Amino acid sequence: MKSKIVGGIILLLVIIVIIAFQFVNVNKPEEITVSGYLGGEKEGLMQDEEVKKILKDKYGITVEYTKAGSIEMIEQDSSDKDYLFPSSQTALELFNQTKSDKLYKSEIVFNSPIVIYTWKPIAEALINNRIVEEKDNSYYIADTSALIKLVTDKKKWSDIGVNDLYGYVTIQSTDPNKSNSGNMFAGLVANIMNNETVVDSSTVDTILPNLKDFFGKIGYMEHSSGDLFEQYLKTGMGAKPMIAGYENQMIEFAIENPNDWNMVKEQVAVLYPEPTVWSSHPLIALNEKGAKLIEAMQDEEIQKIAWEKHGFRTGVNGTINTEIEGFYGIPKNINAVIQMPNPDTMQKIMDGIK
Amino acid sequence: MKKISGNKKLIISVMIIIVVIAIIVGSIISIQKSGSNISFGKKTLNILSGSENEVLEPILEEFEKQNNVNINMTYEGSVDIMQELQNGAENYDAVFPANSIWISMGDTNLKVKNQKSITTTPVVFGIKKSVAEKLGFVGKDVTTKDILEKIQSKELSFMMTSATQSNSGATAYLGFIYALLGNPEVITAEDLDNEELKTNLTTILSGVNRSSGSSDWLKDLFLESDYDAMVNYESIIIDTNKELVARGEEPLYVIYPQDGLGIADSPLGYIDNGNKEKEEIFLKLQDYLISDEVKPKLLELGRRTSFAINFENSNPETFNSDWGIDTKKVLNVMKMPTADVIQKALNMYQTELRKPSLTVYCLDYSGSMAGNGVTSLRSAMSMLLDQTKAKNYMLQASTKDVTIVIPFDNNVLDIWKAEGNDETTLLELQSKIDSLDPQGGTDIYKPLIKAMDEIKKYNVSDYTTSIILMSDGKSNVNSYNQVVEEWNQENLDIPIFSITFGESDDRELQALADFSTARVFDGKDNLEKAFKQAKGYN
Repeated sequence: MKSKIVGGIILLLVIIVIIAFQFVNVNKPEEITVSGYLGGEKEGLMQDEEVKKILKDKYGITVEYTKAGSIEMIEQDSSDKDYLFPSSQTALELFNQTKSDKLYKSEIVFNSPIVIYTWKPIAEALINNRIVEEKDNSYYIADTSALIKLVTDKKKWSDIGVNDLYGYVTIQSTDPNKSNSGNMFAGLVANIMNNETVVDSSTVDTILPNLKDFFGKIGYMEHSSGDLFEQYLKTGMGAKPMIAGYENQMIEFAIENPNDWNMVKEQVAVLYPEPTVWSSHPLIALNEKGAKLIEAMQDEEIQKIAWEKHGFRTGVNGTINTEIEGFYGIPKNINAVIQMPNPDTMQKIMDGIK
Repeated sequence: MKKISGNKKLIISVMIIIVVIAIIVGSIISIQKSGSNISFGKKTLNILSGSENEVLEPILEEFEKQNNVNINMTYEGSVDIMQELQNGAENYDAVFPANSIWISMGDTNLKVKNQKSITTTPVVFGIKKSVAEKLGFVGKDVTTKDILEKIQSKELSFMMTSATQSNSGATAYLGFIYALLGNPEVITAEDLDNEELKTNLTTILSGVNRSSGSSDWLKDLFLESDYDAMVNYESIIIDTNKELVARGEEPLYVIYPQDGLGIADSPLGYIDNGNKEKEEIFLKLQDYLISDEVKPKLLELGRRTSFAINFENSNPETFNSDWGIDTKKVLNVMKMPTADVIQKALNMYQTELRKPSLTVYCLDYSGSMAGNGVTSLRSAMSMLLDQTKAKNYMLQASTKDVTIVIPFDNNVLDIWKAEGNDETTLLELQSKIDSLDPQGGTDIYKPLIKAMDEIKKYNVSDYTTSIILMSDGKSNVNSYNQVVEEWNQENLDIPIFSITFGESDDRELQALADFSTARVFDGKDNLEKAFKQAKGYN
């Protein structure tokens, strides 16, 4: 009899404990795995242990991704994906035009301007040629038109006083038909060729032959901004003298690899073109799970890490409020910005340089 | 209901506490379990790699031991790696080619991620120092064109790998095109139709004696032959020089052409087939390879590990300035043309411009080949002879190639020939291979002697000449000495490659490969692959 009572009580307790556990679990978010296509430049951010932990603990989200170029991912079959995370407004607009029925929700979560990565000897030569100017003893601004003109005028490196380099001045970018940094750079160059005014359907045909020529000279174009940046850093000035990339890439590299940064910081130079274009990173949710990721990525802590460790500007206008320690100067505001051409015009540009 | 006494209350309270503790401890354990890999048996990481990474094996073994995992390296040429990626690379977890362009061109399925360059090494000319001095190449800027002129005037003989099989060969070949076109901003498809360019390339490539499917093997071949120069990676020239110096021979002098060739950036990327555990091992391996622990070992191998490629040389015995090695020089690199131009250039190399091949296949039709054996053999040969299939592997015949097939058992059964690359002729040859049935014993020496007789009918110096012997058993007769004698007597210098299959006697085949400076390919697991590799060397 006694043992029956004890047994009953234990059973009751077990039940209570189980119920209590479930109650606790109600306060914990449901565990979900969210998978999608991610632009290569955000691989570092999504692999960041701190970011992963916040996503997991606070939102119950484990993120899986397939790396794809921003434009490339729009064209892929996304039926088994929950989100797309490209790096341009153009990609979002293209998605809206072709697959608007699939769009559940979208939100711009980061911004980053397009910059030109080059090397100290080249930056110095460009200063001597009055194309680049050093501001506040800390960062370089470049006259975008004058820079592009070096390429279209077929100037050789020796013409501008860089005698270590052989051949013609070129600025390499990723493939505008595959990857966003190249796509945005194409928009920027097109605008410059149109006398620094935004190209539209009435002017695009005039500049297209020159633009085609400009990108034709690059030869093979990488599909991912991350890969191009990696090659720039690894293979050096003779292989990648100038490339178009995102502002955040060097910041992220410096913070993740402090030792390596110490070795390269005296060699690399970051040019802020005036004007430049803004790359906005819209997170496109294809379902409720994707929408949860949007909410999570806007978390204050994640946004803070995104800037401080990965260099993505997060404020409304991309205005930043923190200095990054041990890094070269970064302009607080990016003011000289030109709009990207509209999606129809961009499509024409992309087809033109295919 | 009975009242429960105070004593019992105590017992119950204690039990409650025990139960609660047990549940908490239990749940903590289960949480920990789900967070780590509690699994038995070793995990394996299958890596599809360029052959130049074979020298990294001791470094990889260290990682295997530290982490209790298996790393399984499969070595393929760059074009094959690209092809494999295009086909989905389902049997691989990672890819490790010489240059990131092969991933970029191959990864149409978007499966590769977390790609990082592990080391860099430029593609350079290594020229015997005395020859380089005589040609006036020491202590001044030299362009690719300067070097090509010396090759065209026969003042310099050189070796390079096959442009369609190996990254260093492809890089050098594209570099030659730039130089011969007068260094345009970029090579276009129209440029490639230039007749003068084609003539010049043909002349230059005719000076290449014996091509090779891999950069590492080119080194071995170089060490056993008598050439003035080779195009290869700086790291392999360093390796070659260490050996030359040890032998008391003259080292090679490195020339970095001013107009630039290429840089192998050795990217290691993860192939995502949806296995989380493998991804973790991969990331660990990648971190290990770029760690401060491993860097000195990579430097010792002559690989550059620094960012921006230049570095303060702290290793003058490896990066030896007497060998022309300069770790501070700005290394120019030619621009890679677009994918379709690369493809067109490589096709031209394979079908028109390269030195033609004279290949004799000695194929085992002994009784033991019946069934699976002969089926695999037929399908392997069809991969080379059916030009639509061959094109996938960039192994097409050229207009001037000569293909001879000698089927044998304990006798030579027949001799079949096809000249040129006419598709129908080659398919007719295939149908003969398909209709012969295996029987009888094995004598691998008779067909070899017959092959040499056939080769003598041609002017051997016009061709990249080789014999490819495929056998599945031990020879019933041993006339090894007779083969060696004939080979020496005629001064033929023809490599006798072998492909092993079934129960073949590897020592017998290895001996043939050793004396004739050739290689044995293992066809026991995959006969098609072995044929593909052997052909890639020819």
